Amino acid sequence: MRRFAPGTTSDDLKAYMGPFVARLGYKFNTDEDFVAMVLEGEIEVLDRDGDVYCPCRVRTGDPKEDLKIICPCIPFYTDQFSAMRKCWCGLFVRTDVEDGSALHGVIEAPTGPVDVRIAASGDLADGQGRVVAVGKRKLALFRVDGEFFCLENVCGHLWAPLGEGYLDGYHVMCPWHGWRYDVRTGETDHPDADVKTYPVSVRAGEVFVRV
Amino acid sequence: MATKVYALSTCPYCKMARKYLEENDVPFDVVEVDLLTGTEREEAVAQVKRLSGGTSFPVMEVDGEVIVGFNKPKMQKLLHL
Repeated sequence: MRRFAPGTTSDDLKAYMGPFVARLGYKFNTDEDFVAMVLEGEIEVLDRDGDVYCPCRVRTGDPKEDLKIICPCIPFYTDQFSAMRKCWCGLFVRTDVEDGSALHGVIEAPTGPVDVRIAASGDLADGQGRVVAVGKRKLALFRVDGEFFCLENVCGHLWAPLGEGYLDGYHVMCPWHGWRYDVRTGETDHPDADVKTYPVSVRAGEVFVRV
Repeated sequence: MATKVYALSTCPYCKMARKYLEENDVPFDVVEVDLLTGTEREEAVAQVKRLSGGTSFPVMEVDGEVIVGFNKPKMQKLLHL
C-alpha cells in the first residue's frame, strides 16, 4: 500500500518528516536550496517507485534491505549520523548544527568517538539507574537531579553490574557488596578500583553517550 | 583522460558532481543506473559495488582511480583542476 497519495509535494514531505526527525534530534538542513534539491529527487523516486527511497542509493530488491533506504533512514544509522552530525545525504542535520551547508559532500565512515543513543530522557527518573547496551558493550546509566551519568557497568570488586546498583545522591552502591562509586567521576574509596566514565549529552529528549 | 560517472537521475550529489565536471570542461561518460533495466542495470549495480564497495552514488572512475560521493578535493586532484 502506498504511504503517500499521488500528487504528494515536497512541502507534504517536509510536514511529514520534520516532526519525525525532531524526535530523533535532527532537523532539515539549514541550506534550503539543498533541501529543495533532495526533496525534488525524492518526489521523483516516490512517483516512480512508490515510496521515498533515498535518491542517492539504489534499491536492492530485498524489501528488508530496501527498508533501510527509505527516508528518513536515521533510525538505522544512529551511531554514524550522530558522529557525522548529518544523515548520509545531508537532508537532515543534528539539531545543534548551525550551518548545514558546511557538511555537504563526502560520505565517509566515521572515525574516532561516536555519540550513541542509549535512552530517552524520560526513561529514567531522578535517582534511577539502569544497564544500557552499546553494541556488545554494557554501560551503567544514572540520572541524578535531571543530569545523566554513564559509567562502566562493572564494579571493580567482583564485576557486578553497577547499573543495577542503588543510588544515594551522586553515589551508586554496588548491588552485590555495596562498594560506592561517584557517578560523576567513577571514583571509589577502594584503591585502584575506579571505573571509567563516559560523556553523556541530551538532545531533543534523547540521551547519547560518547564511546 | 577517461572519466566515467555512475549516477542516479534523482541524486542531488550526482547532479552536483556532473555540474562541476561540466563547469570545468571535463569530458565524461555517464551511466544513469536507475534508468537502466534488466541485466544492464544488474551489471551496472555490480560494477558500482566492485568499485566503491557499496551502492551510494555518485561513483566516479578517473583513469582507474575511484571517487565515491561528490568529493571535490579528490576530483580536483585526480582531474588536475
